[in-house]
Amino acid sequence: MSILTLNNVSKNFGKTEIIRGVNLEIVDGEKHAIIGPNGAGKSTLFHLISGLYKVSSGVIRFKDTEIQNRPPFEINRLGLARSFQVTNIFHRMSVFENIRCALLWSKGFRYSFWHLLARQSELNSAAEHVLDQIGLADKAQYPAGELAYAQQRALELGIAIASGAEIIMLDEPVAGMSHSEAENAVELIKKVTAGKTLIMVEHDMNIVFDMADRISVLVYGEIIATDKPSAIRSNPRVQEAYLGEVPSNA
Amino acid sequence: MIDMVKSLSVKSIPWLGYLLALFALPQFFDSILAISIFNQMAIGIVFALSYNMLLGQGGMLSFGHAVYFGLGGFLSVHALILMEYETLYFSIIYIPLIGGLFGLLAAIFIGSFSTRKAGTVFAMISLGVGELIAASSLIFSSFFGGEAGISGDRTYGPTFFGADFAQNEQIYFVAAAWVFIATLFMYLFTQTPAGRMANAVRDNPARAEFIGYSARRVRFISFCASGLFAGIAGGLFALNYEFITEENLNAATSGRVLLMAYIGGLGYFIGPIIGAVVLTLMNSLLSNYTELWMLYLGIMFLLTVLFLPKGFAGFVMMHQVAWLNGKLKTLCVPYLIVGLPSALFMIATVAMIEMSHHEGESFPFLGVSVDSSSLLTWLGFAMLAAASYFAALKSLPQLRDAWENANGLDGDEESSQ
Repeated sequence: MSILTLNNVSKNFGKTEIIRGVNLEIVDGEKHAIIGPNGAGKSTLFHLISGLYKVSSGVIRFKDTEIQNRPPFEINRLGLARSFQVTNIFHRMSVFENIRCALLWSKGFRYSFWHLLARQSELNSAAEHVLDQIGLADKAQYPAGELAYAQQRALELGIAIASGAEIIMLDEPVAGMSHSEAENAVELIKKVTAGKTLIMVEHDMNIVFDMADRISVLVYGEIIATDKPSAIRSNPRVQEAYLGEVPSNA
Repeated sequence: MIDMVKSLSVKSIPWLGYLLALFALPQFFDSILAISIFNQMAIGIVFALSYNMLLGQGGMLSFGHAVYFGLGGFLSVHALILMEYETLYFSIIYIPLIGGLFGLLAAIFIGSFSTRKAGTVFAMISLGVGELIAASSLIFSSFFGGEAGISGDRTYGPTFFGADFAQNEQIYFVAAAWVFIATLFMYLFTQTPAGRMANAVRDNPARAEFIGYSARRVRFISFCASGLFAGIAGGLFALNYEFITEENLNAATSGRVLLMAYIGGLGYFIGPIIGAVVLTLMNSLLSNYTELWMLYLGIMFLLTVLFLPKGFAGFVMMHQVAWLNGKLKTLCVPYLIVGLPSALFMIATVAMIEMSHHEGESFPFLGVSVDSSSLLTWLGFAMLAAASYFAALKSLPQLRDAWENANGLDGDEESSQ
């Protein structure tokens, strides 16, 4: 039932405890949002799950496999992909190449230096399909670094979903976007993550309450509540932590 | 491999042109000097392209690439020596393969720890390893021959279709064949998953790890391939010169290949080829005219870094948008009115540099005798330099406008002129 489990996960930087004994279960196929004030440790938690940081203690399981302290590429190969808060794409490569590279491992090419990419029609049409999905088909040959911001975010989403990972983790996917751009981005996220498990960190509560099946609230490195949006809205501890922000604008 | 062969039939036209050019060159320029220059170019092209696999394609700044070139070269000369003693007996056309394999072995060993990180760490390790091998080469004289190096004789092997390889021209055809093969395979490497991921790791190693690839492994593969081709270049060097010394694997040689790749243009496959041709020409021809050619090379490198950071190839490719917009022609006149005074400025400056170098003597400069003790000549060149400098400066805005117009810019982007 649960696809990702965190058991008593902690992370210290020197003597500073950033994540303190977090327990979390992500159910297969759910859309799970992690919210919390700035500095609560949301991004750190993402980094721990995706392998960018090593945990100080605790266990993280993807299905039955322990993944804590494994390198990011191994975790990705198991079926967990992520995006970043700051746009993180391959700037000098074309939009098409960005997506094609994201597909390579899952299509079994590994470190091959004997396959010519231009001749891999299945791979290339898969890349085109992802570009269609994220609405960047007409920009396929543009250098990724020259795209507009919202398009770069869409490309980043495309890189995350391309490999067909079962869990998609999105770190503030609409940060820095205008209202209409954010609306489009939300629609896109819903479309491309349909049927997958989604874990997202987001500050925009309207989006969180619109998209999430369940919400976890992280405050000072601890999860103070995990529940359905309606229950989170009326949770007094959450209200206290947010000083009344959550329920009023949701 | 089957893929590679099949693809040749599709995109073979530029490659056929390249092959033809390589083999037709000696028909047009058949002097001993020309053949000697072509041989140097051939070595330079393979070496610079192999360097580009590291820096241009893989984002690894190496200060010790000559190690693989030199080691390949040393083993190749040893192979020639063994042929002389009849321990080995095969056509010398395969010698670059021996160089390549040794370059590959060295790269596998050194790359196993140096490719852990890119950036400064990689650069420092490459510098350290380079110095270490260069210093060792003077210590282990049984293999490296000490300061004098080692020498062989390429004529001891069996003939190949009647060629005994006593002539440099015969070596040119061997080199041309190897240059073609090496260029083709280095190009094909860029079109494979490992080659493409090298670009991805260069751009964003952290992100590459989140799409399933170990950045270190990707770098290691590029590093090994680069060592292989550098070794092939070293083998060609051994065939051409029949000797090799410590100088061929030290920091100066590593610096020269960096210059070649950078001046030609790192981001483009053809860049290092241009760089190797230009630098070999400067090395061989300019050095006949002036003792200061190294100074001019340094100045050219500085100017390239400052004004053409993407090298000569990048400069040409910069015009792609203007060409697509059909406005390339509009740049001709502005280029001319900036280019002419710039050329005059360059001539006048070079004249003054040469005059200070020749201290009171007369010397030939562009076909005329220049008296470096004459105050009038000094004044004349100084005035020409000043006038042409201001003329070029004055016409720059016109070029900038034309550039923006040709590229459809609003005027806030730099023209890089």
